[in-house]
Amino acid sequence: MENVSKILKLSQLKFGQRGRVKCLRVENKEVKQRLMDMGITRGVEVEIKKSAPFGDPVSLLLRGYKLCLRKKDLESIEVEVI
Amino acid sequence: MVIALTGNQNCGKTTLFNALTGMNQKVGNWAGVTLEKKSGKIKGTALSLVDTPGVYSLNSFSPEEQVTRDFVKGNEAETIINVVDVTSIERGLYLTTQLLELDRKVVVALNMWDLAEKRGIEIDTEKLSQILGVEVVPISAFKEKGVKELIKAAERAQPRKGKVLYEITSEFQDEAEALASARYDFIELVKKQCFKSNKKQTVSEKVDKVLLNKWFALPIFAAIMFLVYFLSVGVVGSFTVELVETAVGNFSEFFGNWLTTIGASGWAVSLMCDGVIAGVGAVLNFVPQLIILFLLLSLLETTGYMARIAFMFDKLFKRLGLSGKSLIPFIVGTGCAVPGIMATRTVENESERLSTTVLTPFVPCSAKLPIIALFASYFFGTYSGLVSAALYFFAIVVIVLSALLLKKFIFKKGSSSFISELPDYKIPSVKYVAKDVGMKVFAFIKKAGTIILLSSLVVWFLLSFSIRFEYGVDIENSILALLGKGISWLFYPMLGAFSWEASVSALQGLIAKEQVVSSMAVIAGLSSDITEGILSSGPFAFFTGASAFAFMVFNLFSAPCFGAISAMKKELGGNKRMILAVLFQTGLAFVLSYVVFFIGTLFGG
Repeated sequence: MENVSKILKLSQLKFGQRGRVKCLRVENKEVKQRLMDMGITRGVEVEIKKSAPFGDPVSLLLRGYKLCLRKKDLESIEVEVI
Repeated sequence: MVIALTGNQNCGKTTLFNALTGMNQKVGNWAGVTLEKKSGKIKGTALSLVDTPGVYSLNSFSPEEQVTRDFVKGNEAETIINVVDVTSIERGLYLTTQLLELDRKVVVALNMWDLAEKRGIEIDTEKLSQILGVEVVPISAFKEKGVKELIKAAERAQPRKGKVLYEITSEFQDEAEALASARYDFIELVKKQCFKSNKKQTVSEKVDKVLLNKWFALPIFAAIMFLVYFLSVGVVGSFTVELVETAVGNFSEFFGNWLTTIGASGWAVSLMCDGVIAGVGAVLNFVPQLIILFLLLSLLETTGYMARIAFMFDKLFKRLGLSGKSLIPFIVGTGCAVPGIMATRTVENESERLSTTVLTPFVPCSAKLPIIALFASYFFGTYSGLVSAALYFFAIVVIVLSALLLKKFIFKKGSSSFISELPDYKIPSVKYVAKDVGMKVFAFIKKAGTIILLSSLVVWFLLSFSIRFEYGVDIENSILALLGKGISWLFYPMLGAFSWEASVSALQGLIAKEQVVSSMAVIAGLSSDITEGILSSGPFAFFTGASAFAFMVFNLFSAPCFGAISAMKKELGGNKRMILAVLFQTGLAFVLSYVVFFIGTLFGG
């Protein structure tokens, strides 16, 4: 049986789900650099923790700390579901 | 020798800075940006320490990163102390890799060592030091442990020889991505070799389960904010303000009598009592409230709750060109705009911070309450409570609309990303909070105090002298009244009458908004603390419901008191911007009040 892992946008992951970052499709250079500086690089494991009362921003767990990102940015990050 | 202190936000850098420099601190500004620059002498040494803004990397996009990058690359700093929070070591080391590439004298301080031990995190500092090629010193800035060793390490540091840390693979098309990946791959390797941790769900996560809970978060927030407001403005406000006023009043009387006894002339006595002492009294009025406000704010910030507030409200506020953290200045501003404006410092993005600063004075501060109370109770009798509430809502509407206006026309270049971290909850250090509050209050007294005092003196002069410099004239013949008459045409469309008395009173609001009412009281021939009967007295009998509301609106939104104006100058970064802000606020106030009067009279005065 083939083992096909799903590739989703980070925004599509549910709370508590974990994913491994596959690529960043961010147009804005500044934003992309900031995301990478904060630790979102290929291969890193992230976990969706919770969202703010209005649904945005979202809190992620990665590299041992909690990062808050806006939903808009989550849509440009592709992950492989773990 | 100058040492640069670098590190992420929330890594304990400021705590370390305070621990090392004690009271020998100087606060200034980094050239060209509205960022605070803290420098000082390390206690017991001849070493100079400069604190740089908290950054996660040196890629120079934000002003913080630019300032830090320029400083560490420049000639001023000889040695760099890189503070890394051991509890978020992976992210912290990212900046470290960039600093190491500079081939300068670097010492790494692993902070929160005490917390690490509690959490079962073990670090092989020798191995880490070996891999990085620089000295690594474990410290606890909070407990002031390891600090002496850190200083010694900084003194003996040698320039790091260019040992390559990692290779960049050609896997990536994007050079920036390749570099970032290489760095983090390296960090992961370091972590494997030097770190061991037993991970359990942290206390912070448990707390956030409640505080950031979908249903409880907002009500809890409302309760906490109410408490902050209640404690600072309510309880402390009413009690201490009266206390201070009485004390100042008694002293003034006593001093005035003494001066007269020793033969001082009338105007000299008045200068001292009505000018200087009254001016100083106006400043001191604020202080107890400020202490409580700052204290509570400091607690919110150091425990980490402030970051949660920003997180909760960010989406809403971003639409207005503001940040979630902008809510704090607004809340503080309901007590007093001066600390409110000072609190805008927590907003990281420059456009959002500037916008917040300009909007904070629109929040009805406690000094504006007497104005609201006076008009509301006289004209709207039993509905006065409703009117007051209506004004608060009106203020919210004005703030929202102004924010959108500013966003559309002035601060067009906004940041559209919220990338921030939720720091772990921490139990604040009493010492740190006390020092923080002390410094802020002192700064307020020094800055705002000078302005308020000077302006009180100027107004005293304008009130007490006629244009021919005769002393002791009726208020109607004073220079200020002349000014009031001169600008009364500006007030005609909101009052339906030419009233220098009203415009003069509004002018006095520039010193402190409470002065508007006391000025009216004095003009009405009463003592300055009696408010009944003002509106039925001769000079003010012209007020109708519509013009009363309009006048209230004007005073609520016009330029704030000098104290707030000077605070704005500091946060906006210069006279030009301050003047623009004042013009914007006052212009808007005039327009709004004209409209209110027009609509009000239309519906029956």
